Amino acid sequence: MSLHIDKLVKHYQVHHKEAGLRGSLRSLFHRRYEMVKAVDGISFDIEQGEIVGFLGPNGAGKTTTLKCLSGLLYPTAGSATVLGFTPHKREKAYLKQFTLVMGQRNQLLWDLPAMETFLVNQAIYGVPERQFRETLDELVDLLDLKPLLTKQVRKLSLGERMKCELAASLLHRPKVLFLDEPTIGLDVTAQAAIREFILAYNQRYSATVLLTSHYMADVTALADRILVIERGRLMYDGNLQALVERTAPYKLLRLVLEQPVDETELKLFGDVESIDGLKVTLRVPRHGTKDAATRALARLPVADVTVEDPPVEEIIREVFRRGEAVEYA
Amino acid sequence: MRDLIRVYRALLRVGWELMLEYRAQALLWILSFVFPLVMMNVWLAVVDEAGPLAGWGRSDFIAYYVAAALFNYLTAAWVLWDWDEDIRTGSLSVKLLKPIDPFHYLLTNELGWKVFILVVMGPLVALAAWLSPEIDYPLTAESLLAVAASAVTGFALNLMMSTSFAMMSFWSTQTKNFYQLVFGLGQFLSGWIAPLALFPDTIRHVATLTPFRYTLSFPLEILMGRLSGSEIALGFAVTAIWLISFTIVYRVFWRLGVKRYEAVGA
Amino acid sequence: MRNAFRLLAIFYKNTLISELEYRLNFWSNLGLSLFWLVWAALSVRVYFFQTEEVAGWKYPELLVVMGLFFALNGFRQLILTPNLSRISEYVRMGTLDYVLTKPVNSQFLVSLRNIGVYNWGDPLLGLGLAAYGLWQLKYVPSLGQIALFGVLIAAAMVLLYSISLILQTLTFWLVNVERVDALVMGVLETGRFPVSFYRGWIRAVLTAVIPVAFMTTFPAEALLGRLDWRLAAAGIGLAVILFVLSSAFWRFALRYYTGASS
Repeated sequence: MSLHIDKLVKHYQVHHKEAGLRGSLRSLFHRRYEMVKAVDGISFDIEQGEIVGFLGPNGAGKTTTLKCLSGLLYPTAGSATVLGFTPHKREKAYLKQFTLVMGQRNQLLWDLPAMETFLVNQAIYGVPERQFRETLDELVDLLDLKPLLTKQVRKLSLGERMKCELAASLLHRPKVLFLDEPTIGLDVTAQAAIREFILAYNQRYSATVLLTSHYMADVTALADRILVIERGRLMYDGNLQALVERTAPYKLLRLVLEQPVDETELKLFGDVESIDGLKVTLRVPRHGTKDAATRALARLPVADVTVEDPPVEEIIREVFRRGEAVEYA
Repeated sequence: MRDLIRVYRALLRVGWELMLEYRAQALLWILSFVFPLVMMNVWLAVVDEAGPLAGWGRSDFIAYYVAAALFNYLTAAWVLWDWDEDIRTGSLSVKLLKPIDPFHYLLTNELGWKVFILVVMGPLVALAAWLSPEIDYPLTAESLLAVAASAVTGFALNLMMSTSFAMMSFWSTQTKNFYQLVFGLGQFLSGWIAPLALFPDTIRHVATLTPFRYTLSFPLEILMGRLSGSEIALGFAVTAIWLISFTIVYRVFWRLGVKRYEAVGA
Repeated sequence: MRNAFRLLAIFYKNTLISELEYRLNFWSNLGLSLFWLVWAALSVRVYFFQTEEVAGWKYPELLVVMGLFFALNGFRQLILTPNLSRISEYVRMGTLDYVLTKPVNSQFLVSLRNIGVYNWGDPLLGLGLAAYGLWQLKYVPSLGQIALFGVLIAAAMVLLYSISLILQTLTFWLVNVERVDALVMGVLETGRFPVSFYRGWIRAVLTAVIPVAFMTTFPAEALLGRLDWRLAAAGIGLAVILFVLSSAFWRFALRYYTGASS
């Protein structure tokens, strides 16, 4: 077992900010504090080599959990064990085995080329020269870093910088990767490149990956298993597909018609989700999809048909709305 | 140990490169020269008015302040600003994730500048000393060694003093201000405002016990040949005591500070 | 004009709100200012252990000059540093475009947009020290002298502003030069003491080339009632000329900026 988290709890105290000039002046003399429960008792286990996605709205506790697992935060209660280590002890041996990549914080030296940071990391993690060169070559290859290595980091675009950040954090071949919003702010190509890369790294080194993201595409592309967290509590832990099927027992039937068809007629085949000229989307029960599709193809002037799952965002929103407790699939 | 050497080699190279990147910032030097020269100028005006003070004449003041400009910069440590910034903004987290102590990052950043100062300002001062008949440092091989050693220990002292003060940033946002206070008071006892020889006996004796004297005045006193061998040895002894004390304070509060950092939110 | 004041009020109100968040900073910075003031006064006291006068100045008279230095330095940190030293950043980052596309005079924006909230106490404390010096001398300046002083200190601020603006505007061409404000501060440092403390060519330079003498020494002498009126006129004239020059230089730099960059 790679990670074992048991009833983890993390609370903070923050001061209550008042608006306007008067409020600010008042706060010069007196302040009010309130307690925020960032993580409120979550438990889960992850095996070595798994890629797990961490989903949840902003402020749900995802980043806080990752920080607890990295040893940056001392839990208020509960326990976490990663690779047999207690993270908050920050033992050197542990620090050399994992990496935390935060979208907002950079480890790359800003005014120097990325290569300089790589070399420093090599020294800090004590990576032998040959292994370093091998790993570097792989990373350069997978992430297409060749033209970027000699440019000053501050002159790189956001996507280029993120790729270099990732490379810098993997030079020591960590067994566990904590990725906090790794694709935030990147364009589609860069996002795809990073996703491919994470998958490749996971397969090559059997590394455990725990990633948080706002983008469903990240999660659907990479993680079979997801943890849904909201307000510090675990709402769902299990297979993404299973969650989709359970929460939304329907599929979307998208038709492109050869000629317009009246809505009343369309209703015979399923609930009408949307009509856009010749493009029609129908909602059909999951188990009757084949049936509905066959009937539609037979009776309607269909030029093209696709069957889709509802967008995952919708599923997740639904999970939150229902406020279900933890379930294991 | 071998690991640490390897790490230092890498970090020092980076410190040097960063310094090169920022060499345009060297305009800040001008500041470091102006103030001591202004002070020297005032002393010269006083000497013109009232004659030599405590045996110090024109040439003594000139020799003192020209060297003071260099040594002040050599022994200065600016780590406190970086520590404070890292702790308050949370950038310390990035360093905490690494398997080496953040102390090494901050030290090597400074060292880059020290080499620069030594290489550029050192010869300038030496040139001024050689050209000007009024500046005369009675140096022997041993005293030169002692001056170099005292400059190194002076820097180490400033470094550990700043670092242990910097630990306050885990609990307070006012560390920089508080440090300026202590540092400002220290400037009276370090020989910056006036050579310690000009102060009344009691103040001088107190100064010998404080760490401040050893960051500036001590190297200058050796340089100007005003200390006997035993006085120099005593000076190093006091320096060592302060160095050890500050290092202990730093490590103790570092441990406590990280615990708090982790409790409150990194 | 009224519009300008309204704008300033909005700018500074917002800065105040965000800075007051750090309430401890607010109080401790005030304390620190006071500390530096006392420190400065004491550090000068050491010069008078052996003698009553230095270069024709008594200790309390020196305090007047020092107080004005403090006030002027405070003005620099309050208005000049938070604004003018950003010019090189604007040019390098291209954010000068945001300034130029606003319907407000660019020089106004670039000079007055920000304010260094924590240094609000310095000018007042500096004037306080100067007043203390006068009190020690048991000297009360006449209304005319105070008025002249007021005009000269305003001229000093304009002088400092204009010189800073010229230096900062140079960064349009010397793009990699940062921290030009260190240069300004270095220059101002010499103003801690009256210009008669310096001899020979240095005094000449500080009077005619980099007019530091007009910034602290002459306003102090005006307050002490011993300023030659011709020097006063020269100071005012110099301030006006430099202001016109610096503004013209600014406009010139803008033409270069908008013409050269695409």
